Amino acid sequence: MRLATFALIVALPSAVAAQDHQAAIDAALNNHVLPGVTQLAEASQALALAAEDCMSPALVAAYHEAFDAWVRISHLRFGPFEAENRAFALAFWPDSRGATPRALAQLIGASDPVIASDYASVSVAARGFYAMEFLLFDSDISTRGDAAYRCDLVQVVASDIATTTAAIEQDWTRTHADLMRMAGTNDRYQSQTEAMRALFNALTTGLEFNADIRLGRPLGTFDRPRPNRAEARRSGRSVQNLIISMQGLAELSAALTVAAPAINADIRAGFDVAISELERLDDPTLASVADPQGRFRIEVIQQRINELRELIVTEMGPSLGVSAGFNSLDGD
Amino acid sequence: MKRTILTTTALATFFAGPAMAQEATDVLTTYANIAAAGYEDSLITAEALEEAVADLVANPSAEVLTAARAAWLAARVPYQQTEVYRFGNAIVDDWEGRVNAWPLDEGLIDYVDGGYGGPSDENELAALNVIANASFTLSGTEIDASIITPALLEETLHEADGIEANVATGYHAIEFLLWGQDLNGHGPGAGNRPWTDFAAGDACTGGNCDRRAEYLTAATELLVSDLEWMAAQWVEGGDARAAVMADPDAGISAMLTGMGSLSYGEVAGERMRLGVMLNDPEEEHSCFADNTHNDHYLDGLGVQNVYLGEYVRADGTVVSGPSLSDLVAATDPALDTEMRIRLSETMRELGQIVLAAEAGFAYDQMLERGNEAGEALIMGGVNGLIAQTQTIERIVVALGLDTIAFEGSDSLDNPSAVFE
Repeated sequence: MRLATFALIVALPSAVAAQDHQAAIDAALNNHVLPGVTQLAEASQALALAAEDCMSPALVAAYHEAFDAWVRISHLRFGPFEAENRAFALAFWPDSRGATPRALAQLIGASDPVIASDYASVSVAARGFYAMEFLLFDSDISTRGDAAYRCDLVQVVASDIATTTAAIEQDWTRTHADLMRMAGTNDRYQSQTEAMRALFNALTTGLEFNADIRLGRPLGTFDRPRPNRAEARRSGRSVQNLIISMQGLAELSAALTVAAPAINADIRAGFDVAISELERLDDPTLASVADPQGRFRIEVIQQRINELRELIVTEMGPSLGVSAGFNSLDGD
Repeated sequence: MKRTILTTTALATFFAGPAMAQEATDVLTTYANIAAAGYEDSLITAEALEEAVADLVANPSAEVLTAARAAWLAARVPYQQTEVYRFGNAIVDDWEGRVNAWPLDEGLIDYVDGGYGGPSDENELAALNVIANASFTLSGTEIDASIITPALLEETLHEADGIEANVATGYHAIEFLLWGQDLNGHGPGAGNRPWTDFAAGDACTGGNCDRRAEYLTAATELLVSDLEWMAAQWVEGGDARAAVMADPDAGISAMLTGMGSLSYGEVAGERMRLGVMLNDPEEEHSCFADNTHNDHYLDGLGVQNVYLGEYVRADGTVVSGPSLSDLVAATDPALDTEMRIRLSETMRELGQIVLAAEAGFAYDQMLERGNEAGEALIMGGVNGLIAQTQTIERIVVALGLDTIAFEGSDSLDNPSAVFE
C-alpha cells in the first residue's frame, strides 16, 4: 500500500501539463477574479452615489449590494488586495477588542475634521463595510452625536470604499492579472505553479475563514456560545455572507480545475451541500448557536466546510501539483 | 489559529538517499541545539529576573524597581529569538500561551486608569482587578483569591471565562506589574508605575501593595518553572528534540513552518501591520515597557538564526552547525542566495525601527494617525517579512516538501486540534 501510494504521488506532478496551469490561471482570472473586482468597484461606486442622500432607503440597498460583491471575492487576500492594506481598509473583522465602535464613537464625539481631508489616514477600524454597518445599523452609533456630522461620515466612508475598490480593480486589470498570466517570466510569480499556489491558497484560506472565524467565533464552546460575535449581525448578514462566500469559492474551485473537471465533481457536490444547508438554516444571524438544537445544525455545517477543505487540500492540490502556502490566519 | 503546513507521517520521503538524510539530520541537530541554548538562556535570564523581583519585594525603592525592569528587558532578548520555534512544533505552541500571551486586558490584574473602561461585551472580567479583590465570582462560582499563588494564576485566572485577553501569567503580565499602563498615548514614554506601588505600610500607593508583590512573585516563579520545563524538552532525550529528529522530512518542514508562520501571519500581520492600520498604541507588543521595536527585531533575528544555523547566546558564545542554508544551497544555490538576501533586507528594515526608537522616536509615535515616517518604517518591516515568506514557500517547493502526501492530518483526525 505504502509503495503504491508513493508511485502515484511521484507520477502526479508530471501529469499536470503547463497548458493546464495556464488554462486554470486564465479561467480563475476571467471567470472569477476580474468580473469580481469589476462588480465590486461598480457596486461601491453606486454605494458612494447613494450615500449622497444619507437618509435614503436606497443607501441600505446599495450597501448590501456592495458588501455582497466584496464577500464574493474577499478571499483573494494577496497582490492588489494586500497592497496598501486595502483588504483591511474594506473589511476590518473580526474585531475582538471592539475597535470599530470605539473609533467611530471617537470621531463622532470629537466631530473630527479629518473626514474633510484625508480619511484614508484614519484607523482601518473606522473604514470599510463593517464600520459602515455600525453607522447604518447599530442602535448606539447610528444615533450618536450630531446627525449632520454622522451623515458626512457615512458619505466619506462610502466614497473611501469606492476609492479603495477602484484601486483594486485598476491594479488587477492593469498589472496583476498579467503578472499571473505571464507567470514564469516575472519575479513576482517565478513559475506558473507559484501563481496557481496563490489562487489555491486563497481557496483553502477562504474555507478556513468560513469554518473557524465566521462560524467558529459565534459557536464559541458548548458552555459558552458567543452569538454576539456573529459577523455583521446588526445588518442580518451573518449567514448571507457565508452563502455568498461559499458561492465565490465554488466559482474559484471550478476555475482551478477547468482542465480536469472530474477532479472538481466531489468538491462541487460538497459546496452544494454546504450552501443548501446554509440556505435552509433560517437563522440569519446565527443566534441559535446558543440553543442545543440550532447549535448542532451549525456545527454540522462547520464540519462540512472543514471536510471540504480537507478534500481540496488532499485531492485537488496534489492533482494540480500545488499546495497551500502560508496564510494570514497562521498567527494566533 | 495555529497550524502547520505539514504534519504527521509522510508517505514519500524527499531526503531519501542516505547522504541527504544524514545532511538533513545534521541540520535538525543544529536546529535543536539552538532551541536548547535559546530556552536555557531564557531560563537563566528569567532566574535573574526572579532574583531582582525578590529584591524589589523585600526592599522596594526606585533603584530596585529599575533593576527589575532591566532584568525583564534582558530576559526578553533570548526568549524572543525562540519564537521561531512556536508554529512548527506542537509542544512549543501548546505551551507558549502560558509565557507570552498577548494582548491582555490588564484591568484583570491590577488597577487601571479611568479611561480604560469597565467590563466589555467581549470580556466581563476586563476590569476584575484581582489584586484589589480577595474574592470574586467567575462564571457563577465564588473564587477565593485571598492568597495569590502560582496555581491561582495558572489554573483559575489565566484565560478565565475562555477569553484569551485574560492573560494572568507570563512576560506581559509581569511587564504590566513592573511598568504599569503606558498613559502617554502616542507621546513618548513608557508605563510609569511608582516604586511605592510595592512599598510597605503608609508609603504604599495604588493599594494592596502586599498583594501586588505576591502576584509579581507568583507570576515570575511560574515563568521560571515554565521555561525550565521547555528547556528540558530540547536537551538530549527531550520530547521536542525527539519529535523533530524522528523524521527528516517532518523536521525540516517544522523549521520552515515556524519561519513562515512567524514571519507572515504573526509578526507582519497580527503584531505590526494591525497596529499601524488601527493607529492604536495598545497594539504594541510590549506596550507597558515600550520594548516593541526589540520584540520585532528579535523575532526576525530568530528566523534568520534558524536559516543560517547560528545563535549568539546570552553569554556571547556561539551555537552553530550545518544549516538549512547549506541544505538549500546544495539543491538550488540561487534560491539560497535569494533567501539570505531577503532575510538581510528584513533585518535591515527591522533594525531601522530599533534605531529610530532608541534615538527617541517611540514605537507609539510611529503608530499615530498621519505619521507617515512611522508608517513607512513599520511597513518596511512588514513588506520585508512578506517577501521573505514568499521565498520560504519557494524553499518548501524546492525541497519537495509540498508534494508529500499524508497518511492523515490533524484536521481530519481531530478537527479541534488544528484550530486551537
